[in-house]
Amino acid sequence: MTPASDQNAALLARIGIDRIRAQETARRRRAFRRALPFLAPATLFVVVFLLLPVGYNVWLSFTRWQRFQGWDEFAGLANYFRLAGNPFFGRALANTAMWVGASIVFPIAIGLALAMFFRRMPGQEMFKTVIFLPRILAPTAVGVMWFYVYAPDGLLNRGLSLFTDEPVRIGWLFSEATITPAMIATFVWQTCGLVMVLLLLGLAAIPRDPLEAARIDGATPLQIFRHITLPLLAPTLVMVTILSVLAGFTVFDLIWVMGSSYPQQRTLSLAVFMYFEAFQKSGWAFGAAVAVVIGLVVLVVTWAQTVWQARVERRLR
Amino acid sequence: MAVDLSTLDIDAIIRAEARSRRRGAWKIGLGVLLSLVWVVPFWFLFLTIFKSTEEYAAGNPLALPQGVAPFLDNVRRAWELGGMGQAMLNSALYGTVGAGAAVFIAAMAAFALSRLDLPRRDAWFLLIFAGTVFPFQMYLIPLFFGYQWAGLLNSRVGMCLFYTAICIPFPVLVLRTYMNGLSREMDEAARMDGAREFTVFFRVVLPNVTGPMAAVFLLQFTWIWNDLLFSTILANRPETRSIMNALLVFQGSYSQQGPNIVMTGALLASIPTVVLFFLLRRRFMEGLRVS
Repeated sequence: MTPASDQNAALLARIGIDRIRAQETARRRRAFRRALPFLAPATLFVVVFLLLPVGYNVWLSFTRWQRFQGWDEFAGLANYFRLAGNPFFGRALANTAMWVGASIVFPIAIGLALAMFFRRMPGQEMFKTVIFLPRILAPTAVGVMWFYVYAPDGLLNRGLSLFTDEPVRIGWLFSEATITPAMIATFVWQTCGLVMVLLLLGLAAIPRDPLEAARIDGATPLQIFRHITLPLLAPTLVMVTILSVLAGFTVFDLIWVMGSSYPQQRTLSLAVFMYFEAFQKSGWAFGAAVAVVIGLVVLVVTWAQTVWQARVERRLR
Repeated sequence: MAVDLSTLDIDAIIRAEARSRRRGAWKIGLGVLLSLVWVVPFWFLFLTIFKSTEEYAAGNPLALPQGVAPFLDNVRRAWELGGMGQAMLNSALYGTVGAGAAVFIAAMAAFALSRLDLPRRDAWFLLIFAGTVFPFQMYLIPLFFGYQWAGLLNSRVGMCLFYTAICIPFPVLVLRTYMNGLSREMDEAARMDGAREFTVFFRVVLPNVTGPMAAVFLLQFTWIWNDLLFSTILANRPETRSIMNALLVFQGSYSQQGPNIVMTGALLASIPTVVLFFLLRRRFMEGLRVS
């Protein structure tokens, strides 16, 4: 042993580092034991009912599990390859892409316009409540209501008939070209209120000084909006955009209710495709693979949000 | 400060005032118009529930109803044919027990995560919070298998357990933030007096977070009440299905009954959460803000 390390060891022994370390371990163990009764119920519930199922779902997607035939075998990526070649999956993917695209553009654009419009209006509370109203209703109830708006003899066709000579009888929810845009319109009608309220909260948090300064310097309202309001609102906009994308990507209730009479309902979105394959055709392992694909997309979007939000906030500072 | 009135162009000021007032009126007009467009579907719903099936089929959907008499009949038929009574009781049970238990359990976890000297605190928080990261589709098949295996399929206990679990992570996030903001001196004082951790939790911390707890309870209750997916998969029987599931089944099997009855059903299913929202709007918005 070299003299230096000898010295160190002697020093450590004098401080009693081992004893301190043992005390520290004991203290941590005591603290953990004190916290455990508070932590255990929540952890147990989350692990048993949420995290274990996710793990099982991932595992299942790599097998050839068939119900009533019991455990079959490990199948590697076979389910995923089947997925790639499934024409219904392709169409479900395309429709989901349409949902995602629409839920980026419309709720944000309309919500922002409404927020700017109602921001300093007298009687604002009442208008806000009216626009927010659809959001309070369950998606199922909204779907039922709009099912009859879009029905062949429903409200929309009757309204359109006012402008034509012959009565309009379009089956909005029965043809491939119109069903997804029609449902998206309902979705936008329902979500704009929430987007507007969240953006109004963001607008209220913007400091007034830069706005006043710009106005005194003779900036037009459009310039103020473009160069001051919008950048300061960016963090809220990022948050709302991600919320909207995730909602549009995983929307299920609305499609399940409004598309219930559409013959090829499974092509309407990935979430519906997954439900159909698993619970109506008992393709459990295949359905699990679809769920994993949905999960991966959600994880990527959530991760992108974290990065994006951090970058926007850094730029503001 | 005195103002020399002669230096001011009073007329110009009055004109500017009038212009801005006119613009205000014009904006309010546009706002009213926008709101009207927004409420047309509600207006349609409101008119339809007062019509009989024949009346609905015969006339313009936006024509005023001939009377209010068919309304009670619509309610009766939706209630009986749709099994709404049982379904509402079920949903009320799931919502109260699920959201109530979840918020309480979440408060306990948030207490441990924010006010106890817990080693690896962030790891524990991430473990619980991981319950909100995955889309619902990833839970469905394993839950269905697991419930079948455990005999919990189509049982009220099973529904309450699952709703409790899925409503825990979000309140943990909210309540942890609130509890972090509370002063720590009260805890320490209570501990000095020899209080046990449970006493500190119940007597010191819990009374200070009842507001946020009520807000997240309302949000979670509404979520459970509005949930369709999990009830469809885990409890699709008349005795145990939730209200939204009952509404969907009603629409599917009784659409030949006429839109007036199905839409009355949709209204009945929505009333509790809408009333709750208007009674406790402030708390709801508070919940929204913290989320």
